[in-house]
Amino acid sequence: MRNTLRFTGVGGQGVLLAGEIMAACKIKNKGFGLKTATYTSQVRGGATVVDITLDDNEIRYPYANEGEIDFMLSVANVSYHQFKSGVKPGGIIVVDPNLVHPTDEDRKIWKIIEIPIITIAKEEVGNVITQSVVALSITNTMTKVLDDDSLEEVMLSKVPAKVHAANKMAFKLGREYALKAMAN
Amino acid sequence: MREIVSTGNALAALAAAEAGAMFFAGYPITPSSEIMEHSSDYLPQRGGTCIQMEDEIAGICAALGASMTGVKSFTATSGPGISLKAEQIGLGFIAEIPLVIVNVMRGGPSTGLPTRVSQADIGQAQYPTHGDYASITLCAGSLSECYTEIVRGFNLAEKYMTPVFVLLDETIGHMHGKANIPSLEKIQASIVTRARFEGSQEDYKPYDVPMNKPAVLNPMFQGYKHHVTGLHHGVTGFPTEDAAQCEFNIERLTGKINQVHLENDGLDDLPDYEEIDMEDAEVCIIAYGSIALGAYEAVKKLRADGIKAGLFRPIMIWPSPINRLEEIGARFKDKIMVTELNMGQYSKEIERVIKRNDFTQLLKANGRPIAPAEMVAKVKEMM
Repeated sequence: MRNTLRFTGVGGQGVLLAGEIMAACKIKNKGFGLKTATYTSQVRGGATVVDITLDDNEIRYPYANEGEIDFMLSVANVSYHQFKSGVKPGGIIVVDPNLVHPTDEDRKIWKIIEIPIITIAKEEVGNVITQSVVALSITNTMTKVLDDDSLEEVMLSKVPAKVHAANKMAFKLGREYALKAMAN
Repeated sequence: MREIVSTGNALAALAAAEAGAMFFAGYPITPSSEIMEHSSDYLPQRGGTCIQMEDEIAGICAALGASMTGVKSFTATSGPGISLKAEQIGLGFIAEIPLVIVNVMRGGPSTGLPTRVSQADIGQAQYPTHGDYASITLCAGSLSECYTEIVRGFNLAEKYMTPVFVLLDETIGHMHGKANIPSLEKIQASIVTRARFEGSQEDYKPYDVPMNKPAVLNPMFQGYKHHVTGLHHGVTGFPTEDAAQCEFNIERLTGKINQVHLENDGLDDLPDYEEIDMEDAEVCIIAYGSIALGAYEAVKKLRADGIKAGLFRPIMIWPSPINRLEEIGARFKDKIMVTELNMGQYSKEIERVIKRNDFTQLLKANGRPIAPAEMVAKVKEMM
């Protein structure tokens, strides 16, 4: 079973690290995971896309095939519109509604779920940097591609000890918001 | 074997350190910068040096100088950096200074597409500078090979006393996943160190070697003196314009590299190419570097669709595996598809070797990868 996920944002938002954590978690659990990022030569603010491929069998080609992506999460309008076409019809797209504005047509093609990821990180966790962990947790709660506890453990191994508490809270909030959104 | 979760660039830096490199000098450039970044950890940890120079040219000058003292030395850059380093790469060839040069390829020419993948430096790696010489170029086609080809690069540089190119590309340098690499003990057992002259200084003639053999250069500042120049030189290294000597120099510089396919390169089990599903194949895809990653999946898909496809993936790009290419040309006739991220640079080599141009090409030069589905569609058009 192959899962392909896509995170999109702009340079500096931490979407690369979130992808790396997911791939590392799959590998830790004896599977195969690859993360590939595509970004522009703009230092900050350029569209960034991270493709994550997870499989129990070996993966060679590291990019998601267009039209085959199961799940996408986007925290920037420019990258949302640039990369949404890779998601298969009926797939889930999570967007931060304060930053990303899907068209009415988009809502017919994909299941678009709005969660204010940046606001959660900034106001509820109190540290905007944790937005990538909120996103990570939302992704896994919705796709169930990885064991949640194992993912949290790998995440904590990749962030400095002094921000463990904040990132644990971000992870918990991401799960809660995702469950709430799925219940609606 | 060791399982490591990493990027290709980080693996390249680790490989250099574990192959015994003690000196890196360079100038950061996308998409190779992480090699320098990780080397700035790995080399000082082992008592070595990593230095950011003021520009690309100073980077290779420092690296060549370090190598002349007997230290395994390397630099990493991308295509624009190779262009800047070109003159000093020539010094490395004629003076026979071992050096590993990593090129993480991006779109060109000039500054081109800094963050995007390309394989357009294949030709540059063959002839990076003016004059007559032959280049050794290895091309990593997986995360694991970002490690093993760097180790092989150091071994070949020391054995043949020459600059060696190891090509990565943006995809493979930046992709993050699992790599299985040989144990440190196995790597250390495979290490090749350059030959040394053990006689007296009066008898020390570093370039007095037979045809097709590399110079024997003792490390500087360790009791032996020799002259180093970019000019044609005689047996002691001092300049000469003697016609017979100059002719011998060039024949020896190119001839020694052509031995590379004939001799053991230190890591016995490292092949010059890889073949997948070739035994019963009716159509052959030729791909190298990160494009081969998509080609593996294309072969699998084609076979599922009833087309017997195989993959030939050169790892040593220069000198190219001529004998095997000839066999492939004869066996598959026009049922060959060459796919690469440039306008056909390796295709030209295939055409030269098989003396035909009736094969199919799937080329791309816009900074984007080639998806397995594109390869599948192209092969189906051929059948």
